[in-house]
Amino acid sequence: MNLIVSAVIISTLRMTVPVLLAAVGCSWSTKAGVTAFGCEGMIATGAVFSVIASYYTGDKWMGVYAGMATGALIAMLHGVLHIKYRVNATLSGMAVNLLGVAMAALMLKLVWRQTGNSPEVAAFTKLALTPGMEWLKTVPVVGYILGEQSVFFFISILIVAVSWVFMFKTPWGLRLRMVGENPVAANTVGINTVRYKYIGVIVCGVLSGLAGTFLALVGMNRYTLNMAAGRGYVAMVINNLGASNPVGSALSALLFGFFDCLQFVFQSVEVPSQLLMMMPYVFTLVICLMNTGRATGPAGVGRHFDD
Amino acid sequence: MMKPGRHLTGGLRTLLRSTLALLVALLIGGILINLGGYSFIEVYAAIFKGSLGSWRGILLSLATATPIMFTGLGFAIAIRVGIVNTGLEGQLYMGGLAAALAGAYITGLPGLIHPGVAMLAGALAGGAVGLLMGWFRIRFGAPEVITGIMLNSIITFFTGYLSNGPLRPPQTSSPQTAQILSTAELTKLVPRSQLTTAFIVGVVLCAAIYILQKKTVWGYKMEAVGLNPRASKVAGINVSRMYLLALFLSGAMAGLAGGALVLGVLRRFVDVLSNGLGFQGIPVSALAAHNPLAVVVSSILFGILKAGAAMVNQSTRIPYEFVDVVQALVVVFVAAPSIIATPIETLCRGLTGFGSDNTASGIDAEKSEEEVVS
Repeated sequence: MNLIVSAVIISTLRMTVPVLLAAVGCSWSTKAGVTAFGCEGMIATGAVFSVIASYYTGDKWMGVYAGMATGALIAMLHGVLHIKYRVNATLSGMAVNLLGVAMAALMLKLVWRQTGNSPEVAAFTKLALTPGMEWLKTVPVVGYILGEQSVFFFISILIVAVSWVFMFKTPWGLRLRMVGENPVAANTVGINTVRYKYIGVIVCGVLSGLAGTFLALVGMNRYTLNMAAGRGYVAMVINNLGASNPVGSALSALLFGFFDCLQFVFQSVEVPSQLLMMMPYVFTLVICLMNTGRATGPAGVGRHFDD
Repeated sequence: MMKPGRHLTGGLRTLLRSTLALLVALLIGGILINLGGYSFIEVYAAIFKGSLGSWRGILLSLATATPIMFTGLGFAIAIRVGIVNTGLEGQLYMGGLAAALAGAYITGLPGLIHPGVAMLAGALAGGAVGLLMGWFRIRFGAPEVITGIMLNSIITFFTGYLSNGPLRPPQTSSPQTAQILSTAELTKLVPRSQLTTAFIVGVVLCAAIYILQKKTVWGYKMEAVGLNPRASKVAGINVSRMYLLALFLSGAMAGLAGGALVLGVLRRFVDVLSNGLGFQGIPVSALAAHNPLAVVVSSILFGILKAGAAMVNQSTRIPYEFVDVVQALVVVFVAAPSIIATPIETLCRGLTGFGSDNTASGIDAEKSEEEVVS
């Protein structure tokens, strides 16, 4: 029994990390007043370019940087379309999603002449196997569970904490939130609303790119076609559930991670795999329907300073 | 609104904008191919030779255009009331499944009626998913962009389960439903091609939706809701009903795309019926400036590109995936034409020294028009 419980905890935490990172990214974007509707494309781009960088340099950390940088780059497109050219954020986000997913498939073909998945590259292992961290195994229960996680688990906790402190305990965070609530008023008091909107979108891109990097470089060690698998959209719902607060998003992501891991727990039981794979999406849809009664996002989402 | 005299120039500007967007997207796609170690000119030459160089290629182009004409039309209908229908993919699967079941299990119908009944089943099934999205929005206030995506995943997994389990005929091991009866097959326009009557149905529906939008009270109400839902409500339009109507029609079109694939090409429902054909409706509709009549043209253009790439892919392995990149870039450039126009304007300024008045005033007019729209 204990073994099943710890297995559930271990895989819940592992499934949580990518949606958590993307959902916290959505929080940044939404708090700055930009609908976070491009995460799917940012995750796909981050995933494929992290593998490309790791493939050519043989250094997994280069993969992480590349994933974050390309995530930010494609987020810039979303930003420029929405903030500079005033395209509806849903449409510009959808354009970024289409482009990111298509680009990832194209890169697979251009770099490796493959259609399904890339070759294996330098990647992250669980902490218990990392040199210098073997002592984790000797700590009972907690050490065992943490030892099964990767370094990303701790990075994402750090990111949640830093995001929360930035948004709610610093003057810049206050301004970011003001831009999201009322860009016209923010502009009147001399805040550069455009700059803050770009910051929100770019951080969203960096974190979504990191989420993609996690998908590719932890556990899988390669890029496989359609790796994002709708997680960018899931992250958006999770962010809504968490009221665009990084801590709230993290806790909601944990809930999603639990439902996502159930498919592995029930694998031994005689339930068709498609129905198990369907469950996280049903869960997300139900959450979305239950949650929309109350207003969660900032009041000024989608508005500009000169509206 | 728009003065009668300006109507043509407005239309011309839209045409110019779409053409430029397509050309620049093709150019960037070509540069990407070149960076990947292929020759851009060779690839494009081979693609257009593949799709337009032979009778067989032309037929394949039109056949490839058929499903994306339906999904593009579906997207255009919904965007008219201000709804981004992201659920086209799931609606396509649902329509395909319903058409396959109606084609396989309804017996005793003559070959003249059976395909129509099966297509209608597909349209109703796709429309039902659209209505569900509309209900989610009206009853729960759930944004349809999210419910649509979630329904896509749920429906593809669920139909995958059905075609792997309960609906799979016992004699096969691959994930598919029973083969449709020969009476349910769509008539081929040209023997031994994939081009069926579904193409004609698509063109007729594009025209019909165009008339609905431009010439009827319903169309006028839909446009009003798309421009300003609050004002429409005050003016006495039932906004919820317009959302439901638009989403039903939009889903029905996607359902017909699934029906056309099942009844015209595959003759059964398979678990990977479409690889993003629903999402490809977005670039098709965007290139057409969301005009139903222009959807016919834009779907054929993308059909030429896709069919050509598929034909070339058989002989020399080219990166087929770049077509999707080109389609996504079209959405970007059509949405924000200034991304292309501004560099061109700067270039003209640089070449002529002072700047050509024509270009500058053209851009200004375009900008002011955009401001009015937004």
